[in-house]
Amino acid sequence: MQKYSVFSLIKNALKGHKDWEVAWKDPAPKSEYDVIIIGGGGHGLATAYYLAKEHNITNVALVEKSWIGGGNVGRNTTILRSNYMHDENGLFYEKGMDLWRSMSQDLNFNVMYSPRGIINLAHSDAQMNAYSRRGNSMRLNGIDAVLLGREEVKKLVPMLDFSDNVRFPIFGGLMQPSGGTARHDAVAWGYARQADSMGVDIIQHCEVSGFDIANGKIKGIRTSKGNIKAKKVGLCVAGSTSVLAEMLNMTLPIETHLLQACVSEPIKPILDHVVTFGAGHFYCSQSDKGEMVMGGDLDGYNSYAQRGNLPTLQHVLTEGIAMFPFLSKLKMLRTWGGIMDMSMDGSPIIDKTHIDGLYLNCGWCYGGFKATPVSGWTFAHTIAQDRVHELNAGFSLSRFNTGHLIDEKGLGTKTWIS
Amino acid sequence: MLYIKCPYCGMRSQNEFAYGGDANVKRPELNEEVSDKIWDEFVYLRKSPRGKHIELWHHISGCRQWFKVQRDTTTHEIFRTAAINEDIK
Amino acid sequence: MSQEYRLDKVGLVNRDKKISFKFNGKKYFGYEGDTLASALIANGVHLVGRSFKYHRPRGFFGAGVDEPYAIVQLYRNGETDPNCRATEQELFEGLEAKSVNCWPSVNFDIGAINNFLNIFLPAGFYYKTFMWPRSFWYRIYEPFIRKAAGFGSASKKHDKERYEHKYEYCDLLVTGSGPSGLASAYSAAKNGAKVILAEDKPRFGGSLLTSEANIGNQSGKEWAEKIISELQEMPNVTVKNRSQVFGYYDHNMLVMSERISDHLPETKKFTPKQRLWYIRAKEVAISSGSIERPIVFGNNDTPGVVLSSAAKEYLKVYGVLVGKKPLIFTNNDSAYETAIEFKKNGITPVVLDSRSNPDSEIISEAVSMDIDIRFSHVVVAAKGYKKVKKAEITKISEDKNELGKIENINCDCICVSGFWTPTIHLSSQSGNKTKFDEKIDAFIPGKSKQNETTLGSANGVFNLEDTLKTSFEAGYEISKKITKNDNKISIPQSYEKKQSKHDKFWCVPLPKNKKYKRFLDFQNDVSVTDIELALREGYRSIEHVKRYTTLGMATDQGKTSNLNGLQLVSSIENKVVPSVGHTTFRPPYTPVCIGAIVGREIGKHSKPTRKSPMHSWHEKNNAVFVDAGVWLRPRYYKRGNENLFLASKREAENVRKNVGVCDVTTLGKIDVKGPDAAEFLNRVYTNAWLKLPIGKARYGVMLREDGIVMDDGTTTRISENHYHMTTTTAQAANVLSHLEYYLQVVWPKLNVNVVSTTEQWAGAAIAGPKSRLLMQKLFKDLDVSNESLPFMGYVESNLSGVPARIFRISFSGELAYEVNVESDNGNFMWEKIMEAGQEFQIQPYGTEALSTLRIEMGHVAGSELDGRTIPYDNGLDGLVSKKKDFIGKRSLIRKAFTAKDRQRVVGVVPLDKKTSIPEGSHLVKDAKAKLPNPKLGHISASCWSVEHNNPFSLAILKDGKNMIGQKLFAMSPLKNKTIPVEIVSSHYVDPKGERVRS
Repeated sequence: MQKYSVFSLIKNALKGHKDWEVAWKDPAPKSEYDVIIIGGGGHGLATAYYLAKEHNITNVALVEKSWIGGGNVGRNTTILRSNYMHDENGLFYEKGMDLWRSMSQDLNFNVMYSPRGIINLAHSDAQMNAYSRRGNSMRLNGIDAVLLGREEVKKLVPMLDFSDNVRFPIFGGLMQPSGGTARHDAVAWGYARQADSMGVDIIQHCEVSGFDIANGKIKGIRTSKGNIKAKKVGLCVAGSTSVLAEMLNMTLPIETHLLQACVSEPIKPILDHVVTFGAGHFYCSQSDKGEMVMGGDLDGYNSYAQRGNLPTLQHVLTEGIAMFPFLSKLKMLRTWGGIMDMSMDGSPIIDKTHIDGLYLNCGWCYGGFKATPVSGWTFAHTIAQDRVHELNAGFSLSRFNTGHLIDEKGLGTKTWIS
Repeated sequence: MLYIKCPYCGMRSQNEFAYGGDANVKRPELNEEVSDKIWDEFVYLRKSPRGKHIELWHHISGCRQWFKVQRDTTTHEIFRTAAINEDIK
Repeated sequence: MSQEYRLDKVGLVNRDKKISFKFNGKKYFGYEGDTLASALIANGVHLVGRSFKYHRPRGFFGAGVDEPYAIVQLYRNGETDPNCRATEQELFEGLEAKSVNCWPSVNFDIGAINNFLNIFLPAGFYYKTFMWPRSFWYRIYEPFIRKAAGFGSASKKHDKERYEHKYEYCDLLVTGSGPSGLASAYSAAKNGAKVILAEDKPRFGGSLLTSEANIGNQSGKEWAEKIISELQEMPNVTVKNRSQVFGYYDHNMLVMSERISDHLPETKKFTPKQRLWYIRAKEVAISSGSIERPIVFGNNDTPGVVLSSAAKEYLKVYGVLVGKKPLIFTNNDSAYETAIEFKKNGITPVVLDSRSNPDSEIISEAVSMDIDIRFSHVVVAAKGYKKVKKAEITKISEDKNELGKIENINCDCICVSGFWTPTIHLSSQSGNKTKFDEKIDAFIPGKSKQNETTLGSANGVFNLEDTLKTSFEAGYEISKKITKNDNKISIPQSYEKKQSKHDKFWCVPLPKNKKYKRFLDFQNDVSVTDIELALREGYRSIEHVKRYTTLGMATDQGKTSNLNGLQLVSSIENKVVPSVGHTTFRPPYTPVCIGAIVGREIGKHSKPTRKSPMHSWHEKNNAVFVDAGVWLRPRYYKRGNENLFLASKREAENVRKNVGVCDVTTLGKIDVKGPDAAEFLNRVYTNAWLKLPIGKARYGVMLREDGIVMDDGTTTRISENHYHMTTTTAQAANVLSHLEYYLQVVWPKLNVNVVSTTEQWAGAAIAGPKSRLLMQKLFKDLDVSNESLPFMGYVESNLSGVPARIFRISFSGELAYEVNVESDNGNFMWEKIMEAGQEFQIQPYGTEALSTLRIEMGHVAGSELDGRTIPYDNGLDGLVSKKKDFIGKRSLIRKAFTAKDRQRVVGVVPLDKKTSIPEGSHLVKDAKAKLPNPKLGHISASCWSVEHNNPFSLAILKDGKNMIGQKLFAMSPLKNKTIPVEIVSSHYVDPKGERVRS
């Protein structure tokens, strides 16, 4: 595989960029694989990559019904963080942060990991206390966290509304300095390119229509490009999980909902950090291109439509202006929606299933992007070893029977309330 | 913004309503002995179909009645709405 | 300075009103009716900005919403707006604008160095480099890139402008006032339909403003004026200019932004700057027209290269010449109109037509006017850096692969026309699939999904006669369906010159050994080689191409670039365009001001504020308020120099010693009525309710079905079938919905009604050892003795003639009463209490003292009932009935919930009895253990115990039941605190609960 570097860039530039190789090939499916990963989003691609890299399993196919990287990895607000209260989440996502830190070098693809710091604003003492509980938990788990007072927040993010004309004044915030952003498309492409180079077949426009199961064991899948046999199959299809589960006669603790996001027109740098509003549900960062990247609430009813309605965005932007008055004069440039696999406690599921050789990775709610590397890493382990890794042991399906729920928000099963 | 026909008030914009999730979730009867499996299915498991979905809505800024809506989760087309005691096939 | 590119007497601008404006600090003049673009061009200014990546000089390309280049920073009335399109911004007196994305100036821009390095900066170059050393991306490269990116600068001031919303319903919404829009609106309106006609531009008429066609016995423009003035007079029609319908959402909800004041020097009083319209339309006629697309050639981004239709618009609408030596480059007939228009105004253009031998009426006319027309000719490249000076032109072979000998031709502008692209955005947003129309090389709307019809050139119909016919008929049919009227008006005759077929040609091949940049996306600097590279590297899906190259992702959203990009991909991939597909059309059609989307809900009004009837009393008495959801509650009443700690301590001490009064109006209140009310409560709450006597209150806990505590509160039996339920302030709305859900959906046979009465009662909690004395004084006729009104008792009485409800309930743990009166009498009650309480040393107390009192009593509240705890965790397992079923009961027997070492609420006291434990600290066994350090529990609430005069906290602790007496550490690494603590009972004061019963 060609190595990407400034030298290869110069060398190729002088040859008119004619010698660049394809980032990934476009193979026809073989008749049989050791492992098939369904879903060419970030998690699927990462799983395929870590299967090859960490477990030396390279007879792998990744099948994607559309084009790779077109699901939620290509339609999110690119935030990376591990600022969780519960140990299961905190330790899991912190492993993810480790993987993020070295991802560009690991993949030889600049994913633009940018630890610009994420700040959760607090608007009351009660909220400061709730954040303290979270932040202290993070610190005791070895995760970086800083509690900021109002003045400290003001120093870092002067554009926030510190005037008297606010409904919910800023008391302070919880900051994870190592949190930040990455370039979402690059993550998908970087994983695809490396997985491909290690022998993984990335098969696009290949839609799964069914599964072959005999004696409680997976035998293969049926697709728009024919039947493919497999010893093991991993599901990584996020918002489409319930649709595939139906083919397997499984009902899951998941509902599919729509989350919208939008960007403003690009402006000169004004916001360095990722900031979230504490008196509502709004988050914002500025992309390298200069666009303000903004997201917030779910549309609030089951949806498989990758399109949403304006009142939700109006609500999101209302909270946006409450936080950053300067947004008022900017223009909303692009909006989009992604379909979210909302789990009943807000935490993911990475587990084996009752079908031998069939593995499940889902329930990411609206937090899947940051999990991309560690989700792939632990899922690859779960598939390769046929047992969960300690990092994803808590993300079991059985927790919904035993009551070992991991509910960061304490909102319970009404997944549409964010 | 969806346009929903409340069975009691007529066509109203979605911002008058609150969503209530899958209407096919049936609570086990009170005092009924139910297995863990049946209980957990009731509390946590959802079909979440792509396509037709029968769901509950609550006319929270109106008559405050809960009712059923049959809607396509891909196109948001609403096929019909009905009072709670009516069946939608 | 004179407007040397302005023609006399031509155009629609108002010559009587001269307007001065500034661009990049220099003063110019234009006329009323100009856009900033037309006024600048009139003054010979063509260099307005720099491109995003290579910082190449940029001028004007279009004359409207499709403009990719002319982005400026606008200054108006002391405020500034970034990224305004000069082609849309109307001129007003005193307008100021500056170029963006250039430093130090648009003329000399350091960033242009990128242009010379461009071979090292192909599509996606940043993915391949900037990776070493690891930290340099964030520290060095990225800040540099960020600084270089972005266009305008955001204003750092609060936006002074006002934006409003309007909700509207109509039978037919027509989006665009060109021929199809006017025809459909007019025929529908004449048939009685309620019509809204929206036009994005200031002037109505669309293409009729610049066309030579005739309708009836008048020009198209005159016809448009006549129709509009008639529509404006009709009571069933709303006609709006400067109004862009930018989004087509579900169930025929469309959203329009009306720019009311953007064209004025300042916003008038009582007028918003913009208004956002949410329009629910029964039917929509999409008459959004079409946008001319360019032909791609070398250096086609040079200032002076413009769309041919824009050149015509500048001429006919503004009387402005984009150049005096125009070269017109086309593959179709429409550019001849531009050529003829130049010629009529004394400017002789040269026309290059890629077709070998086209024949049509308009070409004959151009020939007859002695216009120099060269068939089978193309522009190879524009020459000139900041303005077109010359063009390299040549003959091209029939198959468009071979170029002839290149010659140079002098020109100062190149007007390019590559045929028309229907504006199908709204139609596509509505959910329609698109289909590719081979005849016009563009996508048109497929089958209609919602109630909409696409008309005219937006539907790929470029012929006026057909457009008028279908649009008149559509307006009639649609209105007939809705109004049931049958008033059909006759369709006027129209005349326009017949057009011959366009050439399926969109990109001029490069001559040998030439490396001209040929741009597809002008703002983002995406060139042909970028697309080629993306495909070479395997980014083959059109979405991959878009994302890898950023094609179509600029602020013009690819209006002039997307289709040519598709053509290129299809020709390289050897696929037909429809199988390449296109990227999704999403709202907004054009960028929309965020302030307008938000409207009036800003600042203090971003969320509602709820206040109790006693609010003004609290204000007058130095209350410091705290947000409790959307309510404002007194947190403490400040005396002198007191801070929160001292004031709340004083208030709490006074409750323990004398008597205090607290405003508890914000608590949720629900009336539960009906013969089955007791049975219902019995199912809702975990404890037994069937035997509660009339005139008694009971504390209850309700769960969610998953076994987690949802809320708590007291409920009182007022009469046989009437209960008064209270909820926490935070959960009031959720509890009501919850009750309604169970009554209506799960147990519809129960005969019970619930209704919120939160707003109807004002509440005062009177607490402290002297509260009975005070009550006796307040209610002289009432026996408030422990015998007559025991703990959890309820009576009705009156307070100086005002009906009052009296509950003997206590949250503070002291002897206490809660008095409710109708809200209007709240302040009266409060003042009476304060007045009568004076002799008992009464003090009002706020939420902070209330917290202190409940914490040291071990009463759980929101910080323990955090949506993750079950009754056991809160020490409320005694309230869980074993006999009866209730909501959530079945979940309580799950493994995790019944674990032996299940978490439970405990009290925590620092060993030194001095150091307050920060809330949110965690309890650990070993403060020095290596990370991750296992956490046993967390501090949920802390206070200064006024009873014991030392800090006291509540914690939810693993195996809390068996931990009493243990010594642990409370750690708050955030505050750098490690505090040795002892675990004690959560009931730190009056553990037997004697006071409340005293």
